Amino acid sequence: MGLTAKDSFHLKEALQIAVVKCSERCLYQAAKWAAELLDALPERSVDEFKGQPPTATYVHPAFFPSADPNEAALEARELNRYLLAKSFFDCKEFDRCAAVFLPDSLLSGLITAKFNEAADPRRKGKAAAVGPSAQEQPLPEMSQKSLFLALYAKVMSGEKQKDEDSEMIMGPQDLGSVVNKQLLTVSRFLERWFADRKKESDPSPSQGFLEYLYGMVLVKEKNDSDALNFLMQSVHLFPWNWGCWLEITNLISRVEQLNKIAPHMPQNIMSFIFHANTAVNLYQQGQDLAASLNDLLGIFPTSSFLLTCKALLNYHAKDLMAAEQDFSQLLALHPHRLDSLDHYSNILYVLNLRPKLAFLAHLCSSIDKFRPESCVVIGNYYSLLSLHEKAVQYFRRALTLDRSCLSAWTLMGHEYVELKNTHAAIESYRRAVDVNRRDYRAWYGLGQTYEVLEMHAYALWYYKKAAGLRPWDGKMWQAVGSCLQKMGRDRDGIKALKRALLADSYYDSTASSFGSTGPIDRMTQMDPEVLLQIASMYDRLDDEDEAKAYMELCMAQEDGGAAGAEGAAGLGDSVAIHNDSPGGGPSDGEGEGADRAGVHEGTGVTVATSKARMWLAKYAMRAEDYHTAHRLGMELCQDGVEVEEAKALIREARSRLELANMLDR
Amino acid sequence: MSRFLTPAKIGLLALIDLYTEGAVPNEAIIPVLNFLASRLLDCDLTDTPSVAPANRWAKAEKSIRLIVSIQDFEQLLGPFAAVDRMPGRLLWDRFLEKLWGIDSLHALQEFFEKQPHLLAKTKNERRRMTECGEDLPTGIVLSRSSPFGVFVRRSHLEFSRLPFHSTAELWKAFVKYRQPTANYWRKRNPHHSRLSFDSVLVTGEHEWGENTEELAVVAYGSMLLGDDDHTSLVSTDDIECLLEMQVEQIHRYGDRVPKELKAQFQSLLKDSHAIPSLSHYVSFCDAWRSGDYPTSFDYLHRYFDFTMQDRDRLFYQYALMNLAMLQSDFGCHKEAVATMLETVSTARENRDNKCLNFALNWLFHFGRTHPKLVRELENNSMLGSGKETLAFLRAKAKESGMWVLWSSALMGEAKLGMASGESVSAAMEHIVRSSQIILERNLKAMMGSKLAVATTLWDRLGLAYLSSMTCEVFLRCYADTSVFDDKLKATCRLANHLAGRGRYEEAFEKFESLSGNPLRAVKVSQHWHLYRGIIKLRRDIHRDNHDAVDHLLAQLLQAGPECLETDMLFIVDSLHIDALTRRGAFDAAAAKIERLATELRDDDRDVAMRIRLLLSKAHLLDRIGRPERGFTITMRAARLAWRARLLPLLWQAIGALANILGALGEFAAAARLVVAVLPRCLETDAVFVIATLYSLLADAWMGQAGEAAHSDRREAFLGKAHEALEAAFHHFSAVEDVEKQCEMLAKEATVMKLMGDNVRAEEYAARYLKLKKEVAIRNG
Repeated sequence: MGLTAKDSFHLKEALQIAVVKCSERCLYQAAKWAAELLDALPERSVDEFKGQPPTATYVHPAFFPSADPNEAALEARELNRYLLAKSFFDCKEFDRCAAVFLPDSLLSGLITAKFNEAADPRRKGKAAAVGPSAQEQPLPEMSQKSLFLALYAKVMSGEKQKDEDSEMIMGPQDLGSVVNKQLLTVSRFLERWFADRKKESDPSPSQGFLEYLYGMVLVKEKNDSDALNFLMQSVHLFPWNWGCWLEITNLISRVEQLNKIAPHMPQNIMSFIFHANTAVNLYQQGQDLAASLNDLLGIFPTSSFLLTCKALLNYHAKDLMAAEQDFSQLLALHPHRLDSLDHYSNILYVLNLRPKLAFLAHLCSSIDKFRPESCVVIGNYYSLLSLHEKAVQYFRRALTLDRSCLSAWTLMGHEYVELKNTHAAIESYRRAVDVNRRDYRAWYGLGQTYEVLEMHAYALWYYKKAAGLRPWDGKMWQAVGSCLQKMGRDRDGIKALKRALLADSYYDSTASSFGSTGPIDRMTQMDPEVLLQIASMYDRLDDEDEAKAYMELCMAQEDGGAAGAEGAAGLGDSVAIHNDSPGGGPSDGEGEGADRAGVHEGTGVTVATSKARMWLAKYAMRAEDYHTAHRLGMELCQDGVEVEEAKALIREARSRLELANMLDR
Repeated sequence: MSRFLTPAKIGLLALIDLYTEGAVPNEAIIPVLNFLASRLLDCDLTDTPSVAPANRWAKAEKSIRLIVSIQDFEQLLGPFAAVDRMPGRLLWDRFLEKLWGIDSLHALQEFFEKQPHLLAKTKNERRRMTECGEDLPTGIVLSRSSPFGVFVRRSHLEFSRLPFHSTAELWKAFVKYRQPTANYWRKRNPHHSRLSFDSVLVTGEHEWGENTEELAVVAYGSMLLGDDDHTSLVSTDDIECLLEMQVEQIHRYGDRVPKELKAQFQSLLKDSHAIPSLSHYVSFCDAWRSGDYPTSFDYLHRYFDFTMQDRDRLFYQYALMNLAMLQSDFGCHKEAVATMLETVSTARENRDNKCLNFALNWLFHFGRTHPKLVRELENNSMLGSGKETLAFLRAKAKESGMWVLWSSALMGEAKLGMASGESVSAAMEHIVRSSQIILERNLKAMMGSKLAVATTLWDRLGLAYLSSMTCEVFLRCYADTSVFDDKLKATCRLANHLAGRGRYEEAFEKFESLSGNPLRAVKVSQHWHLYRGIIKLRRDIHRDNHDAVDHLLAQLLQAGPECLETDMLFIVDSLHIDALTRRGAFDAAAAKIERLATELRDDDRDVAMRIRLLLSKAHLLDRIGRPERGFTITMRAARLAWRARLLPLLWQAIGALANILGALGEFAAAARLVVAVLPRCLETDAVFVIATLYSLLADAWMGQAGEAAHSDRREAFLGKAHEALEAAFHHFSAVEDVEKQCEMLAKEATVMKLMGDNVRAEEYAARYLKLKKEVAIRNG
């Protein structure tokens, strides 16, 4: 997606305007994001700007007064107060900032009026509420910019209050139930403001920021559909506010939803970036996504944000080496940038690159040891060293710095599991889920913890949740299956486990289609554990034939050869649940990735395969196939697993054989 | 700042590691172990603890050097070959291999994690290992409670307690500590590159390209950019250790911290984030010793502000005690007494017997030197007079086992007894009892004061050689283990003896031998200068050098009671009287004597001083030509001296008596008296007194010669007089007393004339003139 010089110039200008506008409204993160993107645009040679007059009188459009004369007049009139309010905001004196434009008496009047109406049973519904009641004072007249700043300050003050009111992380009083008390005021105000606008015959065009604020407030009030509405309005009016896009991303929990709203989005580069980012966040993968990211990177070659997206895409596709390299590049390009390094640390954790993780932690702590990202990185490092107490300490610190730090909650849950503190683990997982219901790792962790506590029904429920979020993650289905097995529901268990096998093989195929570092065709490879589980369940159901087939399949995994392939093919036929559209590749952040990556062909002798062999030998004895039994017994002896039992088996088989020989003779 | 771990400690751990691996060859084992032991423990394996003043601070310097640089290790390990498969490798190489093997933060973590493997296994671990079929570790294993084991365990524990950023700090400091060896290591190890200090950077280099540098700078900070501000990681542990050592040195020897060491220590303190309050105490001691009154006050208050409530104990009384001593040192005696009294009451309140006893002891000694200030106190307090106080203190000290106090109380009693002229044997008994305690408890620090008391006793008994010997014994055997003050005092006494015998140059040499760091303390240097001045003054008085005498006296008399002990003041005063008398300023001398006499009477001071004053008075009367008026005075002096067994003064008094007898014409009696006394007097080293006695003897013989009717007898008396004069002249010239020498020569010439030997008379006259001329030339 190449850009012409003119496009590029306009893009640059638009981003510059965006930075200034966001800064004017104290939307620091959005401004930072836009500025970063701006920086990532390659510098064009000077002569391409010939169309523009670079004279002394030239004023950059970012510094023009508002296009709307009405707003411009208002802004000019209240410039002094605006500057005052802005400096208060910059000094984090939020209440004072809000009070410059919106005195407390006005806001409280707004609320009490509302309460009176709510108490009045005859008036119901929204329409009535905004109706012209006698005691209602008119809203003060001011520019949208100032209004936004004032209301935003109010929200921020509420957030600050909320943080101060919250108890220590995971303390006895820390129930996560503290709410932002200013939300009500702000939402009332905005509700009326929008209603008033609607009534006006010729309202001045909206700048989009107030819609964003209202959407944000609605999100916090868990009014998702309305919020989405307002946020969409906002991005239509002013597409350069990344914060707004992020809010939308957070609201979208399924890829179908994303596809549904995509046509209603404005068609510009921001929406493109949004789409890519959201897809990555929803653990999507595939050529299209990779291609679109690459297109974007063509425009912004050094954009740290896009590079992060790319790395995360690789990470979610389980292509850890590529993801590691991406992050490594990113680190080299922006050595002072801490954002999303926590993901990098996850990758290093899984790859078990201890020195590098230590270096990363050192780097982070030298830059800023009081950033949640740094704390998560350090926590991960300690977790890798099995210093779980210290890890918990750092995750807690991360959460103290930012309560909505999702990964810290989940990781802390993992640490508590390691520390055998199941209650704390459950609580942290629960909090993680509360922050973001899409976090399958937390759901899975909850299931695991309940399984440890042997509360299988509960565990099953959580596993199902996780599996619902990640339908193509074998691990989830395996967990579901084992849980079912333990509950004695063998039929369902078998189904789930078969699905796990399928998911694994599917994931392998997609991974290899990405074709990065190690093209491991593990199509032929199935987890012997799962196979053994299935087989034993069949055994319990007295379906000996199926059991035998799976036992053999399991044993065949030892050398992963042709036998396995055949088995897999057979399995593919037998389980017909292949009709789901290809979901995301599984990614279970931590854990087995590393040790599994080492397995290329054949698992060799494992406990599972030996068990299978033993079962088969016994089965052969029962079926009076003494030769097979003898052979299997010998193999068991060779492998040195359960030698005593195997020897007994061999003896018996031999005596039977001799007996048979004697009889034959 | 870490509490315990520093790069140097990592080095020590690596060395222990090397040792347990058996890489240390046999001949290096002792040096290596000695090195480790002297750094980990407070001991040295090779030689006996040397306490020579020069080595006193060596330990501190050594530990600072270890903290700051890696060179110590190189010096230790460089000369030895390692026990290794590859020949030609030095132990130093192996050590560097270990250090450079820690090539990333993670490697550091691993290094500490595997430290416990060096330790011997506990019983449980052994059982578990045998159950698992693992082999028990062989080779050198460290017992858990051995010094090395404790160090290894502590290091491991401290490391696991470090928060992450401190670990990172430690790592950075370690990289820096190790960096000086990079050149050497590169020679041995061709793969070594510029970024080799962190393997992550080396492996990342191909990935990051030129951005690697930038990343390294972000992670390692300004350290890599070369703006090295010589900061190094110091642990609280090191600082505290150094501080304690300094305080101990200051207390034990009364030294000041040497300049270079102080500078080094200050730079270390600058690097450490936390400054232990003890460092304020060290600063306080230093300011105190250097005579910086305001600063020392400031630091004292600062120190006690930080420690007032430390460890659930109240330190207020100690703060007060220090304050009082400080005040008295700076001459604010009244305030000092007030503060010390408060100390006593506070200590009583807090039931701090130790402090209480110490304060009472101090008060007692203070009262001895400044009786006026404590007089009213004694009248209306329970303390009672000196004797009772001492008895009380002695009992208390015995009760609470404070041996120092006990022995010092005993010595105090001995001194008191001597001062009031009581039984010598009682004093001796006290000294012996005190010395028994000192020997039993090995109180080396008390040796100085004990020997000082003994010296005083011998001096009073006129046994100069014993007193000199005691001083010598102290200087040779105990000087290194006691406070410098004691050493100075012993030296002064010795110099005094020498000066008494007229060996001024040797006396000055004694003074010059004391120099260097200890003299930086203001009190000590004051004392040193004063004593030197006094001896100079004595010499110049004898030499009749008026200008120099005036000059010195002007300086010495300025030193008021604030900065001088009363004994010294009295010496200066008596020398002043002497100078005045010699110069013929009899009125001034008389006035001064009167003033001093009333003072002494009021204060109930040492009997020796009173006798001296009486004798000066008698001398004055003699000089104004009315010796007979001093008869009662002299008799009283003699009686007092006899009763107190102050023998040198007794002989002097007898001399004065003989003089009076001579003036009354009782020549035979005078001669008999002098003859009886002279041999005893010769035992002392008071040469001037001996000379005076001889001259008196000569006068007595002359008188008898004049009375003798028979010429043979007359001749005989004249001969005796001549001999006596010769002896007197000889002794006077020993102390270089010009005036008396001339007098003797003149008398000699007269005797010769009377004997009819004109030639020799002329000769004496010529010598007289020559001497006068010489003196005139010398005095300019």
